[in-house]
Amino acid sequence: MHIVICAKQVLDPEGVNGYALWGRLGVDESGRSFDTGGSTIPHIINAYDEQATEAALRIRDDAGEGNEGDVRITAIASGDPAAADVLKRCVAMGADSSVLVVDPEVAVADGFRTAKLLAAAIGELGDVDLVLCGRQGSDYDQGAVPAVLAELLGSPLVTLASDVRIDGNGDGAAVRVTRALPEGEELVSAPLPAVVSVSNELGQARYPSSRGMMAARRNPPAERAAADLLEGDDARVELMRLIVPDVQGHCEVIDGDSPEAKAQALMALLQGQGMFDE
Amino acid sequence: MSEPVLVILMPPGGDGLSNAAAEALGAGSRLAGLSDASLVCAVIGQDIAAATTEAAERGVDRVLAADEERFARPGGDLAVAAAAAAVEQSGARNVLLLGNADALELGPRLAARLDGASLMGVIDFSGSGDDLEVTAAVFGGAAHAAYRLSGPGPRVLGLAPAVAEAPEREAGRTADIEALTVPAVESRVTVEQAPSADEGPRLEDARVVVSGGRGLKDGDNYDRIRELAEALGGMPGASRAIVDDGWAPAPEQVGLTGKIVTPDLYIAAGISGASQHMAGCSNSRVIVAINTDPDAPIFNYAHYGIVDDCLEVLPELTRLGLELRAGR
Ligand SMILES: Cc1cc2nc3c(=O)[nH]c(=O)nc-3n(C[C@H](O)[C@H](O)[C@H](O)COP(=O)(O)OP(=O)(O)OC[C@H]3O[C@@H](n4cnc5c(N)ncnc54)[C@H](O)[C@@H]3O)c2cc1C
Ligand SMILES: Nc1ncnc2c1ncn2[C@@H]1O[C@H](COP(=O)(O)O)[C@@H](O)[C@H]1O
Repeated sequence: MHIVICAKQVLDPEGVNGYALWGRLGVDESGRSFDTGGSTIPHIINAYDEQATEAALRIRDDAGEGNEGDVRITAIASGDPAAADVLKRCVAMGADSSVLVVDPEVAVADGFRTAKLLAAAIGELGDVDLVLCGRQGSDYDQGAVPAVLAELLGSPLVTLASDVRIDGNGDGAAVRVTRALPEGEELVSAPLPAVVSVSNELGQARYPSSRGMMAARRNPPAERAAADLLEGDDARVELMRLIVPDVQGHCEVIDGDSPEAKAQALMALLQGQGMFDE
Repeated sequence: MSEPVLVILMPPGGDGLSNAAAEALGAGSRLAGLSDASLVCAVIGQDIAAATTEAAERGVDRVLAADEERFARPGGDLAVAAAAAAVEQSGARNVLLLGNADALELGPRLAARLDGASLMGVIDFSGSGDDLEVTAAVFGGAAHAAYRLSGPGPRVLGLAPAVAEAPEREAGRTADIEALTVPAVESRVTVEQAPSADEGPRLEDARVVVSGGRGLKDGDNYDRIRELAEALGGMPGASRAIVDDGWAPAPEQVGLTGKIVTPDLYIAAGISGASQHMAGCSNSRVIVAINTDPDAPIFNYAHYGIVDDCLEVLPELTRLGLELRAGR
């Protein structure tokens, strides 16, 4: 069983959020990057991809003691050289090895280009049974890559997984997935090879052990050049400009001497507006 | 005239169009107007006569209808095949989808299959032809981004909720209706157990939603949220933080990756107001925030604020709500 995890490096969404809410998020001269007045927002692993890694590790744990070798886990990222950090994280958590597709023309918002690069890199690995992605990048909130990957690889796609298990082995092997849908849980299965995207309902991802972190230092990603995997830039989605909307505060604070008094004042106000009229 | 604009709808059988579907026709008509194009709507489902009629009455020029049992709840491979057939039969370059959970999968797959491009969470568009610019929220709504989409295939745009108004309905208006032919497809994904058909009220339709966050301090205190929701005849909601902590069930999550609600009254107790949470509730008519921190971001969005401990405010609101009900 060979599992590939696709991991994306993103600008920390909490950081972007924080600057936006305090009115300190701007856009730089290029129009395509944020300006935070000199301080920097860190780049981190997309949290859903940490959970995709966790899903892969749980499959290996399920194989049982002594059988861990039957489940091989490779992490892949496409991005600039700094994206090696997210792969180190995956290896520190327990992935066996990693591949970095170095894309100097990196068009972070173009999931179609990214998926083509990842599909080519996965093709080179050859014997992949399961590709695990995150449900969406917490930067552009698209979720395009797993879907496009499934199309390019000709594999079935299952999105929004909260639990991922492998059933059977050899030709009859299938992936059984619990999906977290708005209307509740759905249980589906698909033949391998398949692409599955993981949602936060999977639960907390494990932290790397110090042994894992040492191993990651000794086991850097293999590098592939984007130009060798894909001809031309073949751009599909081009980010023209970022816009920071104005969040206008217009809050009326309800006064009162006690929590009860404030509750009473609020209810009276809402009632006065006819909020609770039939 | 340029290539038509196509709106793809997969309505549940029997009824007319949902508000979201009617609004998508409004968005389609605006997009068509930008390039002097006609508006085509594909209606894919089972027992869709009412939906087809309504699409015509809401200004669609041509309807492609696929009314078959296998489309009762089309998902995965079948939805992609049906949508691809609709794009090809319509000759459309710009394709609009409703931005629900299914579309997140359908949009990029459809675009990839037809060698085009897709963008989800679309809130606006401008320009036309190759210069069409499409705007979507990024970082959970903390910012927006304008994009250009290219490629030989269609541009598939998934709409964010409430981006356009539904066109007026003109009773008796008709459109060309033709059958949409979809080849046989074998779905590779087997549904072994569908979500338990919950016939109860939907959070999305509630007129009052009371949501709780980490400020509740303890999972058991989520009961204070349920009690107030019940007293006000509404439904309980939750931030993702407390869903992840196991204090509230996942279907009650409000936000970017949860439910999108538009009640008359949204009460957020002990919720900080991260953009990903607000993406699910900022279109509520009145937002009330209860938070101990006067600088909490939620007060940027709230109409009314109480700066205090929600564990003390909630029970009093519940008491007053019950009193009000008893007095009726
Ligand atoms: C890609 C992505 C998607 C996401 N999707 C969603 C989503 O769909 N929905 C969602 O909600 N979040 C989502 N999030 C998470 C979001 O960014 C926030 O982390 C989350 O909403 C915070 O939850 P919270 O407000 O309950 O907790 P916190 O941020 O911890 O806030 C707790 C608040 O309670 C206040 N408080 C403390 N004690 C009291 C008290 N006694 N009385 C009153 N107030 C008190 C504090 O002042 C604070 O403001 C997403 C994040 C990402 C990256
Ligand atoms: N540059 C990338 N490198 C590796 N995986 C990626 C990359 N971009 C996206 N992915 C994967 O695709 C998922 C959805 O991302 P996106 O399509 O960008 O919203 C992520 O959670 C990752 O698993």
